[in-house]
Amino acid sequence: MKILVVDDFSTMRRIVRNLLVELGFSNPLIQEADDGNNALTMLRANSFDMVVTDWNMPNMTGIDLLRAIRAEPKFKGLPVLMVTAENNREQIIAAAQAGVNGYIVKPFTAITLREKLEKIFERLAASGASS
Amino acid sequence: MSATMPEVDGENMPVEVLALLNSEDGAAFEQALDTMVRQREQHLFRALGLLARDLHGAVRRLGGELAFEGAPSSMADARQHLIEVLDMSAKAAHRSLDFAERMRPEADALSRNAAEVLDFNDSATNSTAVLARQAQTFAEHCCDGLDDMVMAQSWQDLSGQRIKKVVGFIESVETSLLELVRLTGALAGGEAPIAAAKVSSQDEADRLLSEFGF
Repeated sequence: MKILVVDDFSTMRRIVRNLLVELGFSNPLIQEADDGNNALTMLRANSFDMVVTDWNMPNMTGIDLLRAIRAEPKFKGLPVLMVTAENNREQIIAAAQAGVNGYIVKPFTAITLREKLEKIFERLAASGASS
Repeated sequence: MSATMPEVDGENMPVEVLALLNSEDGAAFEQALDTMVRQREQHLFRALGLLARDLHGAVRRLGGELAFEGAPSSMADARQHLIEVLDMSAKAAHRSLDFAERMRPEADALSRNAAEVLDFNDSATNSTAVLARQAQTFAEHCCDGLDDMVMAQSWQDLSGQRIKKVVGFIESVETSLLELVRLTGALAGGEAPIAAAKVSSQDEADRLLSEFGF
C-alpha cells in the first residue's frame, strides 16, 4: 500500500513513518511531503492508496489539501487521515465536512494509529460492499 | 459668516477665536480653523511617534532579557534565536529517534536469543534459564520505553508549531511598528520612506526611526 505522509516537521514525518512500518506497512512504499502543495503535486504524479496529513503547514494547510483532494474526481476514494494538534470542535467539524476519513490528535501511540486505520478500512470495505 | 446668524456668545473663548467666529471673512476663518486642526494633529502624530519608539525600545529590551547568552540587539535577532531553538530541538528529537531505531532491533534480538535458551531449558532452578527470563523481561520493558520515548519526541512538533507562531507574531509586530512610524512620520510632514514594511535589520529600523526624530 502506497502511503503519502504530509507534515512540515521532519521529526513528525519520521515518527509517523516508523509507526506505519511498525504496523506492518512497507517502508519503501511510504513517501513524504512537507506541505500541501508538494503533496498535491506528488499525488497527481503518482498513485497513492492513502494520505496521512498534518493540519498546520505553510503554503497549503492540511484542511486545504483535503479540500483540494476531494475537489478532484480521480481522488474520490482516496482515504485521508488527519494527524493534528488541532482538537477544537470547529476544526474537527470542518475536517469532517471536507470529507476526512479519520482524525488523530497528537501526540498519539501506534495503538491509536492502528485503531483509526482499521476503522477507515472497515468503513471503506463496507461502503464498497454496499455500493 | 452670514449676517443672518446670531453673534456667538463666547464667554469662555479665547479672544482670537471669538473674533474669527464673528468675522465676516469666511476664507480667513477656514484658514484659521485649518491651522488650528493641523497644530493639534502635529501633537497627536508626534505623541504617536514617540509611543511607537518607546514600544519598539521595550520590545528590544524584552528580546535582550530573553537571550541566554548576550543580549540580542534586535527583534530580528530574537526571531533568529527562536528559529535556532526550533532547529536544535529538531536535531535533538532526531538523535533520540536514531537511538530508538538502533536499540529496538537489539532488544528484539535479545528477546529472541533468550527464547531460544528457554526452549532448551526453562527450569526455575537453572541459573541460565533464570537469566534468560530476566533478559526477556528487560527486552520487553526496553521496547515499551522506546515507544514512550518516540511518542515524547512528537512534542517537538507541537512545541515547534508554537515557536513558529511566536516568530510570525514578532515579525508582524515589528512590521506594524515600522509602518506606524512611517505613517506618523509622513503625516508629521516628513517624507514617507519607500517600502518601510520590508525593513529587516535593526540598523535600518533605527535609521528609519531617527529619520523622523524619534
